Amino acid sequence: MRGEGRQMAVISFRRIVIARMIAIGIVFLLVAAGIYGLGLDPGMVGRLVVTSTFGTRFGLENLALYMTPLLLTGAAVWLALRAGLWNIGAEGQFLAGASAAAAIGLSGGANPALAGSPAAFMSSSLTLVLAMTASFLAGALWSALPAAGRAWLGVSEIITTLLMNFIALYMVYALVTGPWADKVTGAQMSSARIEVVLPAFAGAVHCGWPIALLAVAMLALLFRRSRFSYCLALCGSNPEAARYAGIDVGRHVFVTLLLSGGIAGIGGMIEVFGTVHRLQGGLANGYGYLGIVVALLARKSALALVPAALLMAIILNAGIVLQTVQVSASAVLAMTGLLVFAIAVADDYAAWSRSGRAS
Amino acid sequence: MVPLRESIVTLVLALVLHAMAYGSILALAAQGEVLAERAGVVDLGVEGLMALGAVLAVIVADATHSPWAGCLAAAAIGAAGAAAFGCATVILGASQTLCGVALTLLGLGASGVLGHSVAGRPVTATLPQWTLPGLSSGSPIGPVSSQGPMVWIAFLILPLILHVFLFRTAPGLALRAVGEAPASADASGLPVIRIRMLAVSAGGALAGLAGAAMTLSVLPVWSEGMIAGRGWIAVALVILCGYRPVLAALSSLFFGFVMSLGFFGQAQGWPVAPPLMNMSPYVVTILCMIVPSILFPKLRRLWAAPAALGAPYRREER
Repeated sequence: MRGEGRQMAVISFRRIVIARMIAIGIVFLLVAAGIYGLGLDPGMVGRLVVTSTFGTRFGLENLALYMTPLLLTGAAVWLALRAGLWNIGAEGQFLAGASAAAAIGLSGGANPALAGSPAAFMSSSLTLVLAMTASFLAGALWSALPAAGRAWLGVSEIITTLLMNFIALYMVYALVTGPWADKVTGAQMSSARIEVVLPAFAGAVHCGWPIALLAVAMLALLFRRSRFSYCLALCGSNPEAARYAGIDVGRHVFVTLLLSGGIAGIGGMIEVFGTVHRLQGGLANGYGYLGIVVALLARKSALALVPAALLMAIILNAGIVLQTVQVSASAVLAMTGLLVFAIAVADDYAAWSRSGRAS
Repeated sequence: MVPLRESIVTLVLALVLHAMAYGSILALAAQGEVLAERAGVVDLGVEGLMALGAVLAVIVADATHSPWAGCLAAAAIGAAGAAAFGCATVILGASQTLCGVALTLLGLGASGVLGHSVAGRPVTATLPQWTLPGLSSGSPIGPVSSQGPMVWIAFLILPLILHVFLFRTAPGLALRAVGEAPASADASGLPVIRIRMLAVSAGGALAGLAGAAMTLSVLPVWSEGMIAGRGWIAVALVILCGYRPVLAALSSLFFGFVMSLGFFGQAQGWPVAPPLMNMSPYVVTILCMIVPSILFPKLRRLWAAPAALGAPYRREER
């Protein structure tokens, strides 16, 4: 028990960093113990993770590819959190965005006769722009019902956004086994290949990576002393006071969740056009849930989403390595859960001063 | 006309059988969550605890050849996971939302790792069927009277016990007091932290048991992702039924019915794509959360959550 503590209004950066370092250290020890418990050598696995992630060009490119969706789902959850809202539905919004983008990509179809000509370039860039817009709208639409419920009826957005994930997943299954099923290769649970692709950025890394970074930068800019960000913070921390100050809390809640869903939806579009080139059942790969961790790690700074996404990308890469030594892919999920647990406790702990002087 | 009528009767009976089996999973988890939330703690980790319970039940039942040992192990892991959650939220006062989501991720992930070796293998040591005394199998509702023990526990025994406990006994009053006004409860000498920890752990045990009911009785095979959001539906049910155990059991039956419609549609060859049928429980849950609050805005006061729900109690802030 904490005894004579006081909760601090503003927590110093140093306290947070120290508490989190300890928390992450404990998580690493627990994971090492778990790996040992499965009959593997933690030291060997650790070396394997480091060399395969940072030692090869392929590993580094993979990091960037993992970072891209994580940055966007992380930004989505982060934005909602600014207004004190929990968007647990980034996974579903991601899939909704991916489906809408795939609809555009599959309907367009590149004309081989035009390959290489300026007309082909024009039509493919038009497809990309359309797909991105559609994915934003679809993601926003996917969060609209939970958003309205929360904004005007007081229905917990945590459960409704989460349930929408399952609906999105089954919708994707219905699409890829039904109307959009791949009839060429007959791949299970997959749509046909989408011919239009995001242009390359560097090596195997596509333009989605800088786009995601740009989105985060724009979010950071939006939250620099803007009126909107102030209203959001007020709605989140004290809705009564916000209402008293003349802020339409319901509308702010609604718009924030819609924007949040839209950002996650763009993540889905980039994943389809940049990395996977198909709509698939396993497309979202847990990015929506990992986005919660990214947002949590970033706390109040949008720019901190970048290192947070990098950390989660490293963990995802570690998951691939673990799979090569016959550990289930869900080990990543377990690690993520432990990490959230530890960070939640660490943040709470850092908010308390033992002396009782700070207030 | 007789054959048609008979086929309809068998169809309805089969549907009820399915609904009770699937509903029992929800009922166990939802009633556990009622306990935790009545004490003022939102445990969003139900989904993860169910997954852990489901996989451990399979492993232990297979190793010991006793389904009851499997149930016990599932309840134990559920209680242990919930106790860990309680340590972080009730004792340390960390965010309940965050730790609940963390527990779900941890439970889903850990169950995947643990169940790697037993995935897809049919469970041999399943729970027996219990036949309700006084109902012969010859009677029209005969087939329904013989079901897995968890069905009877979830729908008959547990609601009764929980209802009497919560609303007719002193410890139950203490538990509700801790959820409504922890400071007053503390002032009148109730151990707030201990009561909350006990309620959360008991709720976790029931969530684990719900997982065991799934793999040892309803669907006797473990596969990753088989819990498929049922834990979250259970959490939603608790809000829908106004934190009342009997209503939680009844609404679980309804949702069991919605879930079994999906299987039925496939079996009967209804012209609806299977994924769309599987979607229905989630759609119905969301509608059930939103529509009543539009239609009956006044109901909210009567159906209100415990006043201190979600807020950590710290004596020094009193």
